[in-house]
Amino acid sequence: MNNVVTTQNLSKHYGRIHAVDDLSISIPERSVFGLLGPNGSGKTTTLGMLLDVVNPTAGTYSWFGNYSKKENRQKIGSILETPAFYPYLSAVSNLKIIAEIKSIPDANLDEVLKLTGLFDRRHSAYRTFSLGMKQRLALASALLCDPRVMILDEPTNGLDPRGIAEIRELIKNIAGQGKTIILASHLLDEVQKVCTHFAVLDRGKLLHTGLVNESSPEEYIVELSAEDNNRLGEILDSFPGKVKMELYQNRFIITLSDKTTIGELSKFVYEHGLILTHLVSRQRSLESQFLELVNKSK
Amino acid sequence: MSRLFKIEWIKIRSNATFWVLAALHIGIVLLVVLSGKLFIRSLSINGETFKNLVDQARIPIYEFPDIWHNITYVAGFLKFILAIYVIISITNEISFDTLRQNVMNGMSRNEFIASKLILVFLLAAGSALFLFISGFVVGYLSTPDPTIPDMIMYSGFIPAYLLQVTAYLIFALLIGLLIKRTGLAMGIMFLYTLIIEPVIALRIHDDRIKDLLPLRSIGNLIHMPFGKYMLREVQDHVTFKETVIVLVYIAVFLYLILLLLRKRDLK
Repeated sequence: MNNVVTTQNLSKHYGRIHAVDDLSISIPERSVFGLLGPNGSGKTTTLGMLLDVVNPTAGTYSWFGNYSKKENRQKIGSILETPAFYPYLSAVSNLKIIAEIKSIPDANLDEVLKLTGLFDRRHSAYRTFSLGMKQRLALASALLCDPRVMILDEPTNGLDPRGIAEIRELIKNIAGQGKTIILASHLLDEVQKVCTHFAVLDRGKLLHTGLVNESSPEEYIVELSAEDNNRLGEILDSFPGKVKMELYQNRFIITLSDKTTIGELSKFVYEHGLILTHLVSRQRSLESQFLELVNKSK
Repeated sequence: MSRLFKIEWIKIRSNATFWVLAALHIGIVLLVVLSGKLFIRSLSINGETFKNLVDQARIPIYEFPDIWHNITYVAGFLKFILAIYVIISITNEISFDTLRQNVMNGMSRNEFIASKLILVFLLAAGSALFLFISGFVVGYLSTPDPTIPDMIMYSGFIPAYLLQVTAYLIFALLIGLLIKRTGLAMGIMFLYTLIIEPVIALRIHDDRIKDLLPLRSIGNLIHMPFGKYMLREVQDHVTFKETVIVLVYIAVFLYLILLLLRKRDLK
């Protein structure tokens, strides 16, 4: 698989603060790449350098094997932090400017406006938009050039739950079209739901990079509860096929041993005369991996 | 080039501030071109010393060839209106974060500056063209017997005006980029133009050095013409040396602008 972008020893220092320190990563084509890290870990600075708005202190990066030419950026749709548009211009005029910048003057503006649900408000001035609409216009602008790569930095910041779900759907759709998405977030849940690859940054350093699912894929974690949780606890205590069991917010979190299936667990509980009211299987959570990694580095 | 022009045009065509300031500039230029006669008449009626010196009916301020020198000199004071727009334009790009967004979307930093220089040149050229047309019309109507050599003589002040306005607007661009905040940049621009540089000029006694100050040298492209109506000697042409000084300043401003933008993190 080819890489869309690789960095070599990329660093950004502000005086004694190392915002990004000696970062070397490769982002494979067609991946949904999650860039994780607590606030201030250097995610946005890294993306800023990749987009030529922050000058690296040291190191290099290369898009499409073609270094940092502006033509590369014309093929990248990007949103960094808050959306930035001309407030006195309409959605259409703002998009026209971007189409000109990206050298695609004939771009289909209506299509992206419809896709992001802004078509009816396309002639309204940007300053009259709500935060959600501003975010969606940013997304529309990122989609405009039919980009090879999309860079989204905290794309769901400030959105309501419906907006978050919409963005998530949109990201999955775009990824389904074979595009590469680089998603920076401190919301692990978000990354776990949409990403294929991830990297973890902390205080500017790369702690880990890999596939989201690669960590012990055959190991199941099951979350379950019943109306009578005390009884359920007794039954689960006697269940042989588990590795670990804990109670978290009235739900039992069970790690199953290699050969045990969820069906066997469910059957076991049923045979002991209890009906489960909640049963969710999940992969080992990114959150636990992430916290492990960050704690290890301290 | 046409791509950068189109981008800048979309940015200004529905910008109310731009149209208000452009109309203001044109209106005041027009006022200058038309109201000089009234001014002289009021002077000759009210000003005792002036009345005895000249016969107001014979002051040919609007006649060819004098008109070119006179109107370009006075209109030169109105370039600050255009400079206000240049400062608003560049500082807005910074405060809206659109400068950063433009670069992220695939503009190079040099292209961004080029698009702003297109704006500067269009403002200067538009103003010069307007001044030329109105000067020509008023001159033609005021001159008793207009001849072609008279019309052409001194019309070199129009390109000098173009150069003067361009240089000043590039200076405004530099100030805007440096200061980043609209109000502050305008304040500093006017403070420098009206107080700081004149005070520095007062301290310098050697005229040859004084004339090297940036805004003074830009102003020196067109010397004050009115002394000649009081029988004083005035410089009625643009000198090569003064033009070169301004061109050097333009080069220095541009170099600083590019340097500033290249070194800066667009956050």
